[in-house]
Amino acid sequence: MNKKIQRSLAVVSAAALVFGVAAAQTSANAAPKTVYLAYQGPLSGGEASTGTDEQNAVKYAIKLFNAKNKAKYNVKLVSVDDQGDPAVAGTVAPGIGKNKAILGVVGPAYSGATIASLPFYKAGGLALISPSATRVSLTDPASPDFGGPIFHRVVATDDKQGPALAKWATNGNKAAKVFVFDDQSSYAVPLAGYVTAGLKKVAGASLVGTDSVPNTTTDFAPTIAKIKTSGADVVIYTGYYSQAAVFIKQLRDSGSKAVFAGGDGVFNQEFPKLAGVAAEGSRITGVSGLMDANPKAEAAFKKSMGVSSGVYAVESFDAANIFLEAILKGNTTRAKVLAYVKAYKGTGIGGTTYQFTANGDIKGDGFSGFESVKGVLINKGPVK
Amino acid sequence: MFEVLIDQFWSLTIAGVALGFIYVLVSLGYTMVYGVLRMINFANSEIFMWGTFGTIVTSRDIFGYSQTSAPATGPKLALVLFSQLLMSMAVAGLTAVFVEFVAYRRLRAKGTNRLATLISAIGISIVLSELMRLLTDSRPVGSPRVLEKIILTEVWGANIRLDTVVTIFAAAAIYFLLERFVKLSRMGKAIRAVSMNEDAAKLMGVNLNRVITTTFLVGGLATGAAGFFYITVFEYTKFNIGFTMGMAAFTAAVLGGIGNIRGAFYGGLFLGLLEVYASAVLGTQWKAVTVFIVLVLVLLFKPNGLFGEAVQTTRA
Repeated sequence: MNKKIQRSLAVVSAAALVFGVAAAQTSANAAPKTVYLAYQGPLSGGEASTGTDEQNAVKYAIKLFNAKNKAKYNVKLVSVDDQGDPAVAGTVAPGIGKNKAILGVVGPAYSGATIASLPFYKAGGLALISPSATRVSLTDPASPDFGGPIFHRVVATDDKQGPALAKWATNGNKAAKVFVFDDQSSYAVPLAGYVTAGLKKVAGASLVGTDSVPNTTTDFAPTIAKIKTSGADVVIYTGYYSQAAVFIKQLRDSGSKAVFAGGDGVFNQEFPKLAGVAAEGSRITGVSGLMDANPKAEAAFKKSMGVSSGVYAVESFDAANIFLEAILKGNTTRAKVLAYVKAYKGTGIGGTTYQFTANGDIKGDGFSGFESVKGVLINKGPVK
Repeated sequence: MFEVLIDQFWSLTIAGVALGFIYVLVSLGYTMVYGVLRMINFANSEIFMWGTFGTIVTSRDIFGYSQTSAPATGPKLALVLFSQLLMSMAVAGLTAVFVEFVAYRRLRAKGTNRLATLISAIGISIVLSELMRLLTDSRPVGSPRVLEKIILTEVWGANIRLDTVVTIFAAAAIYFLLERFVKLSRMGKAIRAVSMNEDAAKLMGVNLNRVITTTFLVGGLATGAAGFFYITVFEYTKFNIGFTMGMAAFTAAVLGGIGNIRGAFYGGLFLGLLEVYASAVLGTQWKAVTVFIVLVLVLLFKPNGLFGEAVQTTRA
């Protein structure tokens, strides 16, 4: 019941936002030219920390841009809160799709919310660059979820991450007995599938058990019982970090010494903080964060925004910059921005080369293996 | 299919009983208020959540424990744990009384219909959880480890861990204290009198407002104690943690027969065990399905829950 009320509140606030922008538009013809970009992701509700982290990176990019080009452009950010929930996304997206003042959207953050939003953005010809929607079907032309021609993402997909995670988790173990479980989310279930498929290509590794736990679980006793019965020495969890921290503590308390591994959902410096010593030695796959990618940029970010950069900061920052470059080159209609993004080729803050395939993915892939050492996730280099 | 259950039966049973006792205490919060007011206190889940934060604040901010500090020992351990328990109960108890004042009392005095109170309770529940979300920046909060999770002994292949033992015995003790309170004390009798017949109790000189506030307080104290045990075992909380716990505890209360203290006891334990067994046998994805199928079956044959028919004599 709580959730329903939250949803209707989200609708009201989104409507207020859209009308607010429309009103602002009429008085914005004087120089410097005011243009609008949007960020869409979970800004309230249970996943709000992901959205807040991403939006901070977008805000930072815009802040830098406005300071540098204040004579020519004044870029404003429209926050679109979809709570990471497809049902909410379906109610906020129509207004954004129709509001032609908005030239591009960084986001949506989550795949499910992206799918729900796509019809409205396709109708409006609005370019999207998601920092974190990794579901494979979004860039698969054969799938009904296909986001072309407007959807792009600067994050590598789960079909590439799954095998990388399988390799990294079993690294150095010649006869790994692997237990894989997910949190029933639309991110974790397919990723678990790609991990399982990836395991088949790892010499000596075998899958000894699986489970699927709701993402609200705090008591993992049944899952741990299964792990013990299966005799697994590697446990891979494809969900998110907060649950991973609860789980790993319980696993270690039960006396198990199996290697724990997780995907980019677990890739968050909060994970070792929450889990304490239990996290030691955990193996995580992810794309390097601002801190590893560019410590100087991280220091500047913290100084400017007052907080450290969070999850998907690099991706969100880079996605915003692609739009900002488009605007700087004088592309101030949706069609021109979209064409610019499609033809874009450039380098991100972490040194990643961005160029989109016809379906909206970035060319190439790059997952790094991280290990938790003394409470910090350390980059151990690309997974090979 | 059953190999996990057979292989890990005692581990699962102990985990299920510990979880069950946490459910028992939270469902007392629901069942006591229902017994007296015939209304569900939808804010009880958030009262629980605030209790968990009270526990963490005590060890982290008052006693200065961190994720990396060593667990406490000896008298210090007893002191910290006891303070945590008291703090959690105090926070939850006061929150419950606050909820009663804000969401129930005035509406009741004005004689509004039940739906208005229902909505105001849901409203205050949203306020409590969103407030905590803002305070914590939507982030999960880990608890420092105060009680080292030593494996005391091994029984039939199951590790008997200190934290589960403490949870089971202390939670059982708190439950029995409460049960005795309602059964024997003067206030307890007044609570039962109001639950049987509000008008008659009033005519006998029972101070209705005081009884209702006490009921909320006692329910809050039990829920707060649950928050403490929850943190001791799981060492984790978040602003939205109350929802799942509230659902489970409410289910336990209905399963046992809502409004009935003993029903909350058996309902909670039954649910805790059912959840772990179902997860082990069918896979955790079937946990909720199994629980609610069992709930529907029980209600089909015993519409008032397992102990519903004893309501007139032991209701409170």
